[in-house]
Amino acid sequence: MTPCAVTTGFFTLGKCGQMAIAGCPSCGRALCADHVTEGGLCPECAAARNQVGHPAAAAAHRRRAYRHRSATEYSDYGWYTSFDAYDRAAFDPDAAGNQDFRDDGDDALVDS
Amino acid sequence: MADGHRAAYVAFDRFPSTKGSAVHIRHMAAELFDRYGGGLLCVLGGGGLPSYQREGDVEIVRFDAVVPNWLDRAEAFSAWVADRLAAHRDTLEVCHVRDPWGALPALSLGRRLVYEANGLPSIELPYTWPLAAPSTLAKIADLERECLLKADAVVVPSQVIARTVTARGVAAERVHLVPNGADPVPADVPRPPDAPGRYLIYVGALQPWQGIDVLLRAFARLADLSDLSLVICSSVAPSRSRALRRLAERLGLTGRVHWQHTLPHAEVAAWLAHAELSVAPLTASPRNLDQGCSPIKVWESMAAGTAVVASDLPVIREVLGEHGRLVPPDRPAELARAVRVLLEYPDLCADLGRQAREHVENGYTWTHARTRLAAVYHGLDLR
Ligand SMILES: [Zn+2]
Ligand SMILES: [Zn+2]
Repeated sequence: MTPCAVTTGFFTLGKCGQMAIAGCPSCGRALCADHVTEGGLCPECAAARNQVGHPAAAAAHRRRAYRHRSATEYSDYGWYTSFDAYDRAAFDPDAAGNQDFRDDGDDALVDS
Repeated sequence: MADGHRAAYVAFDRFPSTKGSAVHIRHMAAELFDRYGGGLLCVLGGGGLPSYQREGDVEIVRFDAVVPNWLDRAEAFSAWVADRLAAHRDTLEVCHVRDPWGALPALSLGRRLVYEANGLPSIELPYTWPLAAPSTLAKIADLERECLLKADAVVVPSQVIARTVTARGVAAERVHLVPNGADPVPADVPRPPDAPGRYLIYVGALQPWQGIDVLLRAFARLADLSDLSLVICSSVAPSRSRALRRLAERLGLTGRVHWQHTLPHAEVAAWLAHAELSVAPLTASPRNLDQGCSPIKVWESMAAGTAVVASDLPVIREVLGEHGRLVPPDRPAELARAVRVLLEYPDLCADLGRQAREHVENGYTWTHARTRLAAVYHGLDLR
């Protein structure tokens, strides 16, 4: 039996492991009946193509597709306009205090 | 196609992770999603976490764009959250956030906002980003204040931070105390197979304000207790314990200090339960004094029935009360003495542990915390 390779769980994550009935045509991972989406993709690939979720999400996704995804896009919102280059420089990766104490490092996936 | 969600929980934190914040998010988000028939969880990804999950009525989306500059990353996260929330514009009623980066997009959507202030970036950030100028921190404090003032409810884990938040202008009737909690550890939880004979334990992250250097210096003063080890259960990766390992080496503690990194939460309980004492050596830094926190490690030690020795800070008094031993912060000699005395009186130790456990069982389990949070949501629904 090929086990389903989709990651599941809320706080403790693990592989689904149910019997796979298909493979995701995009990323190739094995999928059980519960995890194969309508279009045949795995949930992550489907979400990336916006084939799951609310219809409005799909519309927003299409609108975004016409725009150039870059840092400038984020400034559309204006919340962060008060921060200038001087403010931002203090948050460059090499400006962190002791790297040993960085709070956003690469902690391992909490797998069961 | 899924229907729109009525609730969203937004956190600029990786979830899940082995940190205390993840335990907190787990329970608070569960309450929100139970109340509103599911919901959308927007968190940080990376580290191999899936960018998208659907678990029953809950959808989990993770921000995993690589943006090197931290402030740029916070900004990109806000914009990403705005897009995620916009998709649920027709149905969304409540947004529960933990920081300004999640609050800003929630506010522009104009839904009811619950702001959970566990810490304030304007206080916390200088510890990680020492080059941040006072003028920059003042701008961050402005953003923070704007979000707090506009929130329908501000949830805080301690009286200390409640005072800080009200001092910034938030009306006291909108501030709700929801202390952290812990779930009692079964009395018969098996001893971890690789646990040393008798050991003290520290559980948590390794930032300077945690005071682990003080603990190491105190432990060096207990060298005559040759059968005693110190276990450090770090919630962060080994790469971030380098400076402390070097200190342990310099203090001649190699071999007596056992390092455990990023243990799954469920395993930490067993380590806590079988320790002689649990130590929370928090420093008297502005971070701990003004901002406060509700240290999950202390709650979890209490729930494991293990006596706690902790720094005498207002926030610790709030949690531990009389059910543990308080010592002056930043004083290795005093900490060592307190540990020594408690080890000499195992009955006293056992009593403290038992009282602490009862205190948690009687009012501070996660079930209690969730009930308090449910009352906050209930109040919002009535408005
Ligand atoms: Zn796929
Ligand atoms: Zn599956």
